[in-house]
Amino acid sequence: MSSSTHSLGSHVSRISVIAMHAFTQLVRMKVFYFLVVFGIIMIASNFFDLPQHDGPESMGLNVLRSIKSWSLGTMTLFSVVLAIVATALLLPKDVEDRTLYTILAKPVPRLDYLAGKLLGVLLLVFVSLMLMNLLMTVALHLRTGMVLKEQLQMAENLGWPQATIDAMKAETLQQGPSWSLQGAVFAVFLRASIMASLALLISTFSTSTLFTTIISFLIYFIGHFQADARDVYLQSGEAGQGVFTRLVSLLVSLVLPDFQLFNVIDAVIQGQTLPLITLGKLTLVGLFYALFFTLASWFVFSEKEF
Amino acid sequence: MDQLPPAVEIRNLVKDFKTSFRRQLLRAVDGVSIKIMPGEVYGLIGPNGSGKSTTMKALLGLVAPTSGQCAIFGMDSLRVDSRNDVGFLPENPYFYKHLSGAETLRFYGKLCGLKGKLLEERVSELLELVDLEGARDRRLGGYSKGMLQRIGLAQALVQDPRLLILDEPTAGVDPVGSRQIRDLIFKLRERGKTVFLCSHLLEQVQEVCDHVGIIFQGKMVKEGPLEELIAIEDQTEIILQDASPELISSIHSLIEKSHSGSLVRIGKPRTTLERLFLRETVKDQQR
Repeated sequence: MSSSTHSLGSHVSRISVIAMHAFTQLVRMKVFYFLVVFGIIMIASNFFDLPQHDGPESMGLNVLRSIKSWSLGTMTLFSVVLAIVATALLLPKDVEDRTLYTILAKPVPRLDYLAGKLLGVLLLVFVSLMLMNLLMTVALHLRTGMVLKEQLQMAENLGWPQATIDAMKAETLQQGPSWSLQGAVFAVFLRASIMASLALLISTFSTSTLFTTIISFLIYFIGHFQADARDVYLQSGEAGQGVFTRLVSLLVSLVLPDFQLFNVIDAVIQGQTLPLITLGKLTLVGLFYALFFTLASWFVFSEKEF
Repeated sequence: MDQLPPAVEIRNLVKDFKTSFRRQLLRAVDGVSIKIMPGEVYGLIGPNGSGKSTTMKALLGLVAPTSGQCAIFGMDSLRVDSRNDVGFLPENPYFYKHLSGAETLRFYGKLCGLKGKLLEERVSELLELVDLEGARDRRLGGYSKGMLQRIGLAQALVQDPRLLILDEPTAGVDPVGSRQIRDLIFKLRERGKTVFLCSHLLEQVQEVCDHVGIIFQGKMVKEGPLEELIAIEDQTEIILQDASPELISSIHSLIEKSHSGSLVRIGKPRTTLERLFLRETVKDQQR
């Protein structure tokens, strides 16, 4: 509806003002209380020492995996819920309270408004993840130290050769804090970013926060098995041969992100290394969907009447 | 010499809305044209649902006209930069409850490109203008209706725009608050601002506006300078101070002697109930 030219102030400053405002608004809604819940989950995960069937050299490793698994699981849950609910809340609230009128009546292009709101939510998700990541890393570091100490004492008592001790030590350290683990946290952030931008798109045409939240979660779950369903469909006989079928399949993968790509997080929990190339690929996927959904939101929002 | 462009120029504005029944259109505004020159205070009056707010929203680019054009200082109002010179106060604004008065003005000021010392000075100046210095650090959640309208007016003025658009500026405000807002509009008029307001409180419009338009069922039914519209052309009013009964009697006999006119009414002018209320409540406060 509006064409943009020389408005007062720059796009970057306007977007950052709206982003910081959205961030403050969410923080003042006391969302950081969930960190207490995260802390409790972190403490609880320290006691999940599952019975192991490996040799004595693997003692305590399950606890380290448990800490990572519970932490990253909770981070995923919190970040996705925060990304969807916060985004679904902000836009309809502004329309309902008519604060949107006062903002759009200023020289603020609609894209700046949307980008600002989205970045505000992403900033909140990022800060939340950083705080949870800090807690997890500290807990994991302390626990790794304890496990290593126990293992070394045991090895000393059993009189193991130095080469075996070094191998055991390397294996244990692999389960501790690592760059791959930081990469996994970043992947969690990327996934939440995709969901926030998707919720932004839905909220531009939805009439309620509840509708936006439900549809976003639905797409999130579909995204976890859409790749399988697509492959099965395309490989089933003649269906995969037609141009139309392939176009539909392409459209589905464009609209519904393939969240199976983020299964690398599970591999990191098991102590595997996250290759930089994989992280780069995930970053590109995240950026693509975030930009695609934001531009689609703008397309809908620019024609919207209030 | 180039003539100044009108502050507001609406030409043959038509706005249709889709109703819940498919393909059925509701015409909210039907061929409205308004021209407001810089420095004028224009009041658009009409009953609820007559198209006042839709006209204002079209002028601000919040709705797109079905046909016709809206321009602000010669610039198409669908352009974002046309809003550099406009301040808007919507009807019953809520604003962000989590922000204080000063934070609210800072937020809107930054959106308009203000920053640093200039912004802080502007925030203080506006809080003083709307008499909210004492509540500058209080969150808007604790503001009264009148205070919210005043902070709304301050945010509309934050970038010092030449045009102010006020949608029902005194709706739901008590007489004292309403008077404060009216005094502010007077101040703005003195500063040379153009004000475009809509209201269904006719007495207030009569008090502050120099031009008036009457809109009914989406159509402009009457428009022009207020004095011309409300003057009863074939009557003359003379108001006397401390007139003796003898003088009144002489005037009566003069009228009777002359055959060019007739006496319609003679009596004491009345104050309004609002003025009486303000006089009594202010007096009570001062006691």
